[in-house]
Formats: sequence, C-alpha cells, structure tokens
Amino acid sequence: MSRVGTAAQPRVISPQKRRRFFSRGDKFTLGFFIGIPTILHIGLVWFPALATIYLSFTYWTGINPQDIVWAGLANYENILFNTPIFWEALRVNAIWLGWFFVIATPLGVLLAYQIDREIRGHKFYQSAYYLPVVLSLAVTGIIWNFLLRPDGFVNGLLGLEISEAISFFGDDRYNVWVIMIMASWRHIGYIMLLYLAGLKAVDSALREAATIDGATEWQTFRKVVFPAMRPVNVIVLVITIIESLRAFDMVYIIYGGRGGLPILGVLVFENIAGEGASMKGAAYAVILFLLSIVPIIAYLNQQFKEDDR
Amino acid sequence: MLNKIAGHELDRRLLLKGAAAGGLGIAGATMLAGCAPGSSGPVSFGARTVDESPTIQLKGLVDAYTAKTGNEVTYNATEANAFQNNLSQYLQGTPDDCFQWMAGYRMQFFAAQGLLVDISDVWNEIGDQYNESYKIASTGLDGKQYFVPQSWYPWGLHFRKSMMAEIGLNPEDIYNWDQFMGALEELKGQGLIGLAAADKGGWEAMGTFDILNARINGYQFHVDLLGGREKWTDDRVKEVFRHWEMLLPYQNTNVLDLEWDGAMQLLLQKQAGFFMNGSWFGANFLEQSQEDYDDLWIVPFPEINPDHGRDTIDAPIDGFCVAKNGSNNAGGKDLIKFAGDMEGVQAQLDTGIPMTSANNGQDRSTYDAFQNQQLAVMSEAKYITQFLDRDTRPDFAGPVVGPAFQSWFKDPSSTDSILESLQSQWDALPPL
Amino acid sequence: MTSVKPEVQQESQKRKKKLHAQQIKDRFISIFIGIFAIAWIFPIAWTLWSSLRPYKEIRAGGVFSPPQELGLFNYAEAIDRMQLPQYFWNTVVITVPAVFLILLFGSLIAFVVTRYSFRFNVAMLLLFTAGNLLPAQLVFIPVFKMYLAIGDAVGDRRFLYDSPIGVILIHVAFQMGFATFVLSSYMKTIPKEISESAMMDGASVFRHYFTVILPLLRPPLASLGVLMTTWIYNDFFWALVLMSTDNKRPITSALGRLQGEFVTDYNLLAAGAMIAALPTLLVFFILRKQFVSGLTLGATKG
Repeated sequence: MSRVGTAAQPRVISPQKRRRFFSRGDKFTLGFFIGIPTILHIGLVWFPALATIYLSFTYWTGINPQDIVWAGLANYENILFNTPIFWEALRVNAIWLGWFFVIATPLGVLLAYQIDREIRGHKFYQSAYYLPVVLSLAVTGIIWNFLLRPDGFVNGLLGLEISEAISFFGDDRYNVWVIMIMASWRHIGYIMLLYLAGLKAVDSALREAATIDGATEWQTFRKVVFPAMRPVNVIVLVITIIESLRAFDMVYIIYGGRGGLPILGVLVFENIAGEGASMKGAAYAVILFLLSIVPIIAYLNQQFKEDDR
Repeated sequence: MLNKIAGHELDRRLLLKGAAAGGLGIAGATMLAGCAPGSSGPVSFGARTVDESPTIQLKGLVDAYTAKTGNEVTYNATEANAFQNNLSQYLQGTPDDCFQWMAGYRMQFFAAQGLLVDISDVWNEIGDQYNESYKIASTGLDGKQYFVPQSWYPWGLHFRKSMMAEIGLNPEDIYNWDQFMGALEELKGQGLIGLAAADKGGWEAMGTFDILNARINGYQFHVDLLGGREKWTDDRVKEVFRHWEMLLPYQNTNVLDLEWDGAMQLLLQKQAGFFMNGSWFGANFLEQSQEDYDDLWIVPFPEINPDHGRDTIDAPIDGFCVAKNGSNNAGGKDLIKFAGDMEGVQAQLDTGIPMTSANNGQDRSTYDAFQNQQLAVMSEAKYITQFLDRDTRPDFAGPVVGPAFQSWFKDPSSTDSILESLQSQWDALPPL
Repeated sequence: MTSVKPEVQQESQKRKKKLHAQQIKDRFISIFIGIFAIAWIFPIAWTLWSSLRPYKEIRAGGVFSPPQELGLFNYAEAIDRMQLPQYFWNTVVITVPAVFLILLFGSLIAFVVTRYSFRFNVAMLLLFTAGNLLPAQLVFIPVFKMYLAIGDAVGDRRFLYDSPIGVILIHVAFQMGFATFVLSSYMKTIPKEISESAMMDGASVFRHYFTVILPLLRPPLASLGVLMTTWIYNDFFWALVLMSTDNKRPITSALGRLQGEFVTDYNLLAAGAMIAALPTLLVFFILRKQFVSGLTLGATKG
C-alpha cells in the first residue's frame, strides 16, 4: 500500500464535484451497468421469492392461477402438526449442520493451513482434496454407489453376500453418516480452497514473526492467522450453514427425490414439483428460507461493519 | 368417484368374448385404417422410459405410424422417475403432442386440470376393440375419455420354475397364507431370500400393501380406504401390517436400498425364491436370455381371508394421452388412435417384445406360456384395482404414503404411529 | 564463523533444534495428510478401475476377482449409447454464455459500487449477496410460471422455458451475487488513485471500466470463471425443472437418464461417469494456478 498520490493533486473529490464529471452518456452508461443486472436479479430471484411466500398461504395445485384459494396458515399447521417427516428432515439437517460445523469445516481449514505452509507434497495434496469438488453430483452419486451398493466394494471387503449386505443407503443406522461422509468429501475440499485463497492474502511476515517469537504452531494459528482471517472466517461459516440447510443435490441423486433420507430441500421439491404438487411445498420452502435468513443477516451485518471501517 | 376408477369390475365374460373375437378385431382394424385421415403433419411423442425393451417396442409403433401416414414423428425419451417428477411442469409447458402415461387417478387428475385433450371421438372409432372395463379406466371424472390403453400386467408372485423344482416346491399348489409361509420357511432353510422386495423408489412396496389389504379386508374396503371413506387408523389396516410384518424375516434386508430392478436381480440371479411385482419385467428377463424368460412364472398372491379368496388383483393399465399444450393436438390424437388400433398394436407385437395388449384384437393364441399364465392369474380375479398410486390422490400417494411405508420398513414396531400420521395427513389435505 | 559470539551461537542452535523438531513434525503431518489424500482419491480410482472391466466378470466373481479382461470397451459403448457430443454441446451452450454474463454483470456492479459513491451502494451489495444465498426451490414455481407467461407474450412458449436461454438467465440471476461479492472485495484492494486519475483525464465511465479496471481484474475473473464453470456445469436442478426436452438437457441431467438406462450394467455407467467428469477435471488442471491466487475473497491485507 505504498502508492500514495502526489501531494500536489487533490486526493479527495467532493461529491458535488464528482457528480459534475458525469456527462449524459456517463449517466446512461451507469444506469445501464446497474440497471440490467438489477432488473434480472430482482425479477428472477426476489420477486419469485415473495410470490412463493404468498403462495405458501394458499391451496393450489400449481396449475391454473384461477384455482388459487386462500388457506391461511393451513399448510404450516399441516407441516408442523401432521407431518412427522418434517421433524425427521429437520433432525437430519441439524445433524448435517453439526457435522459440517464441528468436523468438515475445521478439517478443511486445517488442511488449508498445512498446505499453505508448503509442506512436502502440498501441490499434490491440494489437487487431491479439491478433485471431488469439480466432479458433478451425478458423478459423485455414481462413484459412491460403486463403493456402497450391495455388491460393491465395501460389502465385498466385509465378505457379505448380497442377501446379507449392509444397506448403507437404506438403513437408518448408516444412511445419515454415509451421506455425511459423501458430503464432506466435497465440502472439505471446497472450504480448503476458500481458506487457502484467504491465507495467501495474509502477510506471511506476520506468521514468520510469530514463529520466531517462539509461539507454537497452534498458538500462531489461533492468535495470529485466525484473527487476521476474520472476513474469510465469516464467509466460511455462512457457507457451512447455508450448504447444510440448502442441501439437496446429493440426496436427490441417491434417492431420486423420494423419501429415503428426508431433508428439507428434498421435501420442498417432492411437494412442489412432483405429480401431486401442493403449496405445502411452498410452505416448506418458506421455512427453509426463514432458517437460512438468519445466517444471511449475520453475514451481511459483518459486511456492513467492514464497509464502515 | 373413486369407485368408478378402481372399481371397474372385470367382466369375465367380456374378457373371454374379447379373446374369441380376436380375428374380428383385426378385420375391423383394417377397415378403420382405410378411412384414417393420416395427414396431420409432424407429431412428437414422449416416452416415459429409457429402458431397452420398451424403447424398441415404442419405436416399432412410431415407425409403423410414419410408414403408414408419412407423418414424421419426433421421439423424446425421458427416464421414468424424472418424467413423473416433472409431469406437471411438462404438461403445463411444452409437452409432446402425445405421451405415454397411466390410467386411473393419475390420468384423471391432469384431465380435470384441463391439461389433457378429450379423445372421446377416438374412442368412438376404436372403442369396439376394447372391453368396457378399459373404457372406464380411460374415462375422466367428467365422463369423457382421455386415455388410450396400451397394455396391462398383473401384480403377483413371480418365481423361477427351475429353482423351485430344485428345491422341491410347487408354487402352483400354494393357495393360502399358511402354505405360503411354509414355502418361505423352506426357502429360508436353504439359505435363500424368500421374497425379494424393494422400496427405494417409494412405490414398489405399495403393490404388497394393496394385495394384503385386498386379501384381508376385501376389495370394497381397499377402495374405500384409498378414497378416504375408511380410516387408516382402523384395526383392519393394522391387521394388514401385522401380516406384512410376518413377511419381513423372509425378505432381503436392504429393501430400502433397492429399486424394483434391484429386487428383480435377486430373482434373476436365483438368490430369491419369490418376487412380488408387476409382470412387465418379463421383458428384462428376455433381454438376458430366452432361457431366463422361459423359466419365469407367476401365481396369484395367496388367500388370507376365506371371505375374499383370491378375488382381487392389481393390474395397472399403461397407455397414451394427448397433451392440451402440445403444438399439434390433431396429430397427437391421430397417433394414439393408431396406437390403440389393432394395426398399431400389431406393430408393437412385431418387435418381438412380449406384451399383453389391452386390445381384444391381439390373437391370444400367439401368447407365450408366461403371457397365458398372466391371463389366467388375471382371470381368477373378480375385481381389478390399478395400483395404490393410481387409485388415490396424487398429493397423498407420492409425498405421504411413499415415505410412510419407507419409515415402516425402518421400524415395523411403529405401525400405530405411522397409521395415525397417515390419517392426520389425509385429513389435512386441501379440499379438491 | 570465527567471530560469532557464544550467546548468539547458542541461540541459533536452539532455533535449529526447534527447526529440526518442526521438520520432523512436518514430515509427520505430511504423511498423515498424504494417507488421507489417497483415501480421498480412492473412490474415483476404484470407479476408474471398474470402468475398465466388464460387469459380467464382477457378477460372476465378485468385485475383487482378478481381471481377465481389461480395456476401454465400456467407454466405446458408453460413447456410442450416450449421444455424448449432443449432451456436451448442450452443456457448452448453457455454461459459456452464463459464465460470461455472470462475470460481466458481476464486474459491472462491483465496479459501480466500489468506484462511485451512491447512497444505495450498500443496499445493492446487500441485495445481490443475500439473493445468492436463497434456496433455489423457493423461486422455482413462480419462475416457471413467468417463463411460460413471457413465452406466450412473445409468441413462442419455448422462448425461455425448455430453452437454454431460460436456464442461462436463472443461473446468471443467482450467481451474479457471488461474483459481485468477490469482485467488489477484490476491487477494494485496487488503489482509488488509479480511478481518480482516469476520471481526471476525463475518461468516460465506459472507458474507465473497460480500459482501466477490467484489465486489473484478470486474476479474480479467472478464478471466478473456473468456479462458476464447475458450478453451472454440475447443476442439474434448473435443467431438470426448466427443460422438458431430454436431448436439450446438459450432460449432468443426461447422466441421471443413463442411470436408469444402464441399470443392469454398472461398469458401463462408471465409464459414462468418468467421461462426464473429464471436462471439469481438464478445466481445473489447466487453470489450477490462477485459481487459488485469484480468489482473495476480500481478505484485507495486514
């Protein structure tokens, strides 16, 4: 940050003065620059989101608009009081969140920290851990099915016949954890990469200084690196929360969008897009939205603070 | 209403008469072909399968149509699950002119929403080739026809003849529940799976529920239950699950890991004795080898309550509809008229893929042994139901019953609470 | 060497010892991470191995049976049956314009928000980033209905629905937020003086963006490009619900179809999966270096 404007030139331009710089063409350009993306974003994200919130208070098959009937809170009551699978799904999403928060994300961070120190073979490691992230979920599903299906690798390793094979995706004792491992397989690499990018920006002199001062590695990480990474930490935290709430693709790929392992994202889809679409699905979507808005607000709050600085 | 859908009684006399009138049907068909307009321009056809055998069959149909009328047909295939999950959007958006679908509530729902084309006039032309029961199954809630049947298949106990002979069992002698349990015990003693089962798709096990309910409580109760006139919390439904639980020790442990084809593999590879499923998978056996196909056999599910004997069977009908939002409704109608006419049926049969057509014109003397047995199983029944997910509201079958059965497999001891929740979810459904 | 004071020598020896201990520890860590790395790759390697064998062999002898037949025959058959060129082309038609537009729009907004101070700047940033984090299912039904309505208004139902354009637009609308966020964080690290001198020179807003700012954004644009390419390439939700014609869908959706089709031959499916994975793997390995260095993600230096 050593480049400073020469003292002779006015470095601060007052708002009024700056505004005068805008020609008509500039105003047009600015309007264009901001306008097109904003219209697109509001039109395809925020407007539909509000529409869905409205629909969640109605009965509708999702087909003819004239059939929409006001239902009040009926869809929500149905979900909260009559649908045990909702609570099961909430439980799975909570496990997902806990697992990511306590295990997957810290592992990704730790990995990034070690790889950033350029330990032996770090280039290979970086690629190896990132590999699953670039694979599509469909491919991921196929790959894991290879390992875990009744006549797959793991059951083969355990020497189990098809008739007595462990049901990794069907048995409640295993399925949540199998999906957790599969999800972590991608998540860890993703977090590692984000964190690595952040670490590259942290002044390495800082860290070296700390090491020379006799701080242990753990101390260096905790007292020097981690605080310096605050903005990235927030992003990683938000991504962790959002990903575990929004989880959909992997479970959809494995279970084909029906039952199996209930999670909120799939419940929304099953109720809103299937053959028997109903606005119960919209209510599910709104619940999902309410759950994710909390971290979004926390995250934006952080952004605000930074802009104030 | 539901009575009308699921409850069409199979008139055995009609069925037999139809068989006898085979030759006549063909004669009628040729006459019809003579006056077909056949100039409706390019048509698109949506298949809800990507499997090998049905694809060959449908392409045979489409090619014959093109050859006859000169109308070009675009053939779009979608994997069955994806097609079903997306059907509502498909029909509202830019569907193919005609598409492959199922009879019963699943057709009537979309007809009532105005997404299907009334094809009563097609029925006026080809209706005499079908029994009354098929016409009822093709009729919407408004009394008009929206569907042309292609084929039917019974749900029953399938097994491999050679395998049973080796063990010394004769499943054709199994008439009642006790004999069936004895056979399962025998299979288990041999280290085999008694009954191959699957429910990963969330619908496979519905077939087992249907038959158990019909056997224990009878056809009328089953229909009333699915129509919401009886309660899921009824002790009679609990009885169904009590019987179902007796089957569990003889099933494979990974029911929720397998889709129907996974369970079929167990039978194919001789790891399981019986397989409760629709007979359509005979084509998959034939894909493997003629030998495998010839080894396949079906018997009706055993009697449980002597009051009802073996009087009911799930025999879903597959067929075709015309989509209102398609770009060429007339063309769609023309194509499915051809498909429903004996000429189109013959084109499908000529592909060599086994099919039990709904059309009376199919010469039943050309049935192979397995098909004749399917017919025999079907003829024993007095009442025909479609299938749970075709006989009840779509917003109940898929999102509610499917997951409920799956959680029952996870914890069979929770029958009571699962049934309570099924009933409360039915009660919470929006009025239709 | 000779003139080193004893204390200093002692000190450096101490440090050396410590360094030595650190080295041992590092080696240990390296081995540990290495073992995990191998475990990480194993599922892919196993699938690759399976894809080289016929399924019949596995069914006959189990997964660990020694291979009697190894080769690329599954690949040949998969390519033959998958209509690969068609599906790859579908993917390209969606991914390339979508990534381009995301980067363009993201950089435009980031540019305006960080270079000009308007009252609504923070609100803009808020809007876009929050929008990016909303669940896709929340907007699905209205978007579907809107696409159909717009299509009817234009006179062609396939204008947005069942068309690559519709899928591109929804991707752009959603992912723009992330791009805006990353690029605006990056732009904050570009000294304001550069912009100011450009404005003093009387450069128009348009020139300011294209000739001054855009060239400086190359590193984050490259990494965002890779990230967005993998995300959009891998998405199947939108293609599933907004397209009805199967042979217009991108390759990831096609894989779902193949899963149904190849259900009796898992090893063929493995070959299909490996082929579908290839493009993103290539993109990643080619652009690996730029990837990490471009993503500073708003970490403020020092």
